[in-house]
Amino acid sequence: MSILEKPNKNVEARVVEGEIPIQSRYTYGLAGEKFFREIMDKARILGTRCVECDYTYVPPTIYCERCFAKLEEWVEVGPEGTVQSFTVLLVALGGSPLDEPEIMALIQLDGADSVLVHRLGDVDLDELAIGMRVKAVFKPKKQREGSILDIAHFAPVED
Amino acid sequence: MGLRKVAVVGAGMTKFVRRALETGKELAYEAAKMALDSCELTLDDVDGVALGTAPEAFDGVHMKGEYLSDGAGAWRKPFMRCYVGGGTGVFTPIQGWYHVASGLFDVCLVVCEEKMSSCQPHPQGAFLTIFDHSTERPLEPNLLWIFALEMNRYMHMHGLQKKDIALVSVKNKRNAADHPCAMLGDPNITVEDVLNSEVLAWPVQRLDVSPISDGAVALVLASENVAKRITDKPVWIKGVGWSLDSAYWTNRDLYYPKYVEYAARMAYEMAGIREPRKEIHIVEPYDPFDYKELHHLEGLLLADKGDAPRLTAEGVTARTGNMPVCPSGGLLGVGNPIAAAGLMKVAEIFWQLRGEAGKRQVPGKPITGLAQAWGDLMQVGTVVILGIGG
Repeated sequence: MSILEKPNKNVEARVVEGEIPIQSRYTYGLAGEKFFREIMDKARILGTRCVECDYTYVPPTIYCERCFAKLEEWVEVGPEGTVQSFTVLLVALGGSPLDEPEIMALIQLDGADSVLVHRLGDVDLDELAIGMRVKAVFKPKKQREGSILDIAHFAPVED
Repeated sequence: MGLRKVAVVGAGMTKFVRRALETGKELAYEAAKMALDSCELTLDDVDGVALGTAPEAFDGVHMKGEYLSDGAGAWRKPFMRCYVGGGTGVFTPIQGWYHVASGLFDVCLVVCEEKMSSCQPHPQGAFLTIFDHSTERPLEPNLLWIFALEMNRYMHMHGLQKKDIALVSVKNKRNAADHPCAMLGDPNITVEDVLNSEVLAWPVQRLDVSPISDGAVALVLASENVAKRITDKPVWIKGVGWSLDSAYWTNRDLYYPKYVEYAARMAYEMAGIREPRKEIHIVEPYDPFDYKELHHLEGLLLADKGDAPRLTAEGVTARTGNMPVCPSGGLLGVGNPIAAAGLMKVAEIFWQLRGEAGKRQVPGKPITGLAQAWGDLMQVGTVVILGIGG
């Protein structure tokens, strides 16, 4: 094991600063264009369905990754769904504490087989549980701009 | 399949550190040179080089494969770089394996390097752009909360508590105290230390997570005739496997890593292993988070679903247990320079099977061991099975 014993000290090294400057401009794609337009214009969430695999994709895709069929059947899903998992964020990316904890969740929308990741809002931390029923809360139409953030968050469904 | 037998005949490793003075090339050189020296070969003996290294953004050098090539010993040689995210460290020796198994090369140098400290302000930044640009990135996902979602799902499905999982972190950081290259070895750490550490994204706390690190690891692979000339202790690559699940990470139930099972089944079949729990004596599953070791043991079919925490609590996975798991100290203890960390696991199996693991040596003279890594968009499993004799 002598090769492992070679010292390799962790030192304070002089550094040069640098960056790789890159900006990007992405299209939504064929499926995304329709998905986000429907959210913006009609506050409706659409998925695509593979009849062969009996599987509904949300967000939608134009092909089934399982059987490689082209998907042309669009179905409305949600706006209610079930929380599959959640996390409570207490620290921002840079390491500083967040003023308010933020809750991210995996939400299986009614009628969908895949799961959507989004934010939970209007929720009591004590009530938070896997299996809880939630519903999409859309921004007012004037504020919607064709983004996943047109859904402000998901909130618990009142019984 | 008409494939030749391939042996690991040498290994080398740098210390894993928070910020190395060495550049990436120099780290690659240190590990590669040590690996060659360990089996008394020189660069002239090397027919080709397989390099593994993770996103360009870590080292901050675009076309990083080419940048690292000379340090990895590839000057005027056939060279390839491969990359499957965190799975790279166990994927790269698979590339080296078929270079030799195919008959193309007799000796292949396998090098994995990562210099994460270059990435500012934090290497997490390199992962912000791995997610879908329209459906996910506006929500600003980062790896910590993605894994928090997975960990919570795993705990929920099996009714587990945080303390059940913290035992993994304690075991690995204690094991790492015996590793000369380790960054976070701690012989005195307790479950309470883990449970009292800072909550980052519940249920993930500071000591549930492996550190950012710089480092490199290298192996020398050789064909049967060459291996037998070089060493009387060749360690054979008995099986390899890899598999990718859906790149839509939300399209699968996160509580169980099916892609690891597929990769493991491929490797077991090649190695002729029918009863992995009896035939695999020592395991180095990928443990960037403590729950991942448990998750992966289940995916590798080495524990029933949800039962890996019990094996841990009962000491089965301790270095002196019936199935030692991460005797190296794992990523949680040794450190996690991504690609290098995966190859460190293969190197650990190599040293353990040869009886050269020093203070980390497991008892009972193991003859078969398995290393596994995981990565990409949390959906790739890579597996290598090593064995002596036969």
